Amino acid sequence: MLSVELFVQGIVQGSIYALIALGLTLVYGLLRILHVAHAALFTLGAYIGVLVTNQTGSLPLALAAAALFAGFVGMAIYKLAYEPLLSRPPYIALIASIALFIASEEIYRITFGPYGLSFVDPPLQGQIQLFSGFYLKHGEVLVIGLSVTLLGLLAWLSSSTRTGIAWRATVTDPEIAQACGVNIQSVRYLNFFIGSALAAIAGVLVALLNNLVEPTMGSVPSYKALAIIVLGGLGSIRGTLLAAMALGVIEAFGTIYIGRMLDRDAIAFAFLIAVLMVRPRGLLGAR
Amino acid sequence: MRLIQIATGTVLALTLLSGASYAESVKIGFNVPLTGFAAADGKSALGGAELAVAQANAAGGIDGAQIELVVYDDQASPKEAVPIAQKLIEKDGVSVAVSGSYSGSTRAAAGIFQEAGVPYISAYAIHPDITRAGNFVFRTSFVGEVQGRAGAKLIGESLGKQKVTMITLQNDFGQSLAAGFKEAASSFNIEIISEYEYSIKDRQFGPIVSKIKSDNPDAIYASGYFFTAGPLVSQLRAAGIDVPVIGQEGYDSQKFIEIAGPASEGTIITTSLDRDSTSAETMSFIAAFEEATGQKVDMVAASAHTALKVAIAALQVAGPHDAAAIRDAIAATELTASTGSISFNDLGEVRKDVQVQIVKDGNWRFYSVISDPDLLAPPTL
Repeated sequence: MLSVELFVQGIVQGSIYALIALGLTLVYGLLRILHVAHAALFTLGAYIGVLVTNQTGSLPLALAAAALFAGFVGMAIYKLAYEPLLSRPPYIALIASIALFIASEEIYRITFGPYGLSFVDPPLQGQIQLFSGFYLKHGEVLVIGLSVTLLGLLAWLSSSTRTGIAWRATVTDPEIAQACGVNIQSVRYLNFFIGSALAAIAGVLVALLNNLVEPTMGSVPSYKALAIIVLGGLGSIRGTLLAAMALGVIEAFGTIYIGRMLDRDAIAFAFLIAVLMVRPRGLLGAR
Repeated sequence: MRLIQIATGTVLALTLLSGASYAESVKIGFNVPLTGFAAADGKSALGGAELAVAQANAAGGIDGAQIELVVYDDQASPKEAVPIAQKLIEKDGVSVAVSGSYSGSTRAAAGIFQEAGVPYISAYAIHPDITRAGNFVFRTSFVGEVQGRAGAKLIGESLGKQKVTMITLQNDFGQSLAAGFKEAASSFNIEIISEYEYSIKDRQFGPIVSKIKSDNPDAIYASGYFFTAGPLVSQLRAAGIDVPVIGQEGYDSQKFIEIAGPASEGTIITTSLDRDSTSAETMSFIAAFEEATGQKVDMVAASAHTALKVAIAALQVAGPHDAAAIRDAIAATELTASTGSISFNDLGEVRKDVQVQIVKDGNWRFYSVISDPDLLAPPTL
């Protein structure tokens, strides 16, 4: 009974990890850049979500606004920060990315204040009973439902549309893809747009669950999402999703049963190390 | 071209030098987290400190000399706090310094101030080791253990609850509160049926909340800051757990009520500030703070105001130049501040009552006051 509740809590957390980490995997798969500043878009999405909801009272509008705005900022980050560095070794882009992320935290603090923002009238606070004595908040149902929908949509896009096929071709072999007439530049923009929009939606969902948006809320996702894509096998989308869910569930049980010895992050990294010792390529990494 | 540059530079340098010699101000150092994870508390602390300085300057300063607050951002980080302490002592030549920061950085700086023989007052950092740095270091707030013991008395005696679940923040703040609570629990017939720990970065408590539901306690003693306690209390209530939640001064911010919303109603905390106080000192502080900053008062602001007030009072007695005399004046402090009447024991720890506040109709309100000198006795030399 308790274990079912913990499992579901783990899936809620795992869904959020999945939405964040997916963008990171997409960028790594395409450009071999570790995009730490991705977490800044997660925070940006959360701020936009709270601001738009407080202004208009509409959560769907807030989700759309966060996704769109963060999507465009993600494309701008590619254009302004990464594109000029593509010919350099990947660690140069990594350093730029870390700098961007640190600067973003201070920009949020200066713009929105250090105390953080909350929903004036938090939406989706009600709960539904799944079975006797077991309740889920509407917000948590939304987290799971929206993640499944968005990831399903993405899977369909990549397998069944021309754009999706062009995108997969570019990941596999950029030069041949280009020779076949794929516009690599648009594929990259699309990649950043989708990844950033997903992170922003995750930000709004977290804001909904905690009713708190802070300048530093991206700091945990910034490194945990990296751990997740390593765990999944760098660049593997299915691996990333599996790793995100596994980590969510392991943390949920770990918090209760070994939380007195290891905190949530330590549990996550112990799991990462254990998996890498057995499978150095990650859960579903390519050889 | 070069000549012009040199000339301009010289003129500028001379202007600065002469400016310094005109107004001989008395400097008080202040390390405070203005960026990073503790920036919210830092902003409140700075507001309280600046108010104390402005009030003292309006009343004539130190023998006519204006007081200057020398502020550095320590990001609540020990590695920032050490060079800041050195800078305050050597470059700025402060007469006395106050920490408006957390325990980590305050502990690191305390040793530097002690070694240099410059008095240092911790406004709200609670780690016991801070005052153990030596006789130049003081604290105007409770150590964590004292507040933890007060929490045990509140739950066991005032509320009459026995089966308690603890949720403890994994840092020095949470650990020392938990230690004090456990120490006093048995004398108030409290049985600790379960304890969970969380990290300061956690905002999602789903698994802990699920487990507590099956533990079925009479009350929950949870340490944390408003940014962790807000989400925690709202998630506990959302899961249908309606037993009393008892917190401490870390909750003490209007922001806690904003985050947890209606779920915050009835939350009880031990703290240093009584918003319904009839003391003229506290009432005038609250009015002046809210007027000056346009934000609701909190424990951190009141504590910083108190610590500055102690420092300024000592400077008024001993003057700005003799560090040993300033130290003695602080040690002999007897004054009333916004957080109550302040005096120190031989270790430099404050002796005062613990305030108990409850959330009622979206505001912190008076619940009770715990005045038990034996239970609340701070550590001594």
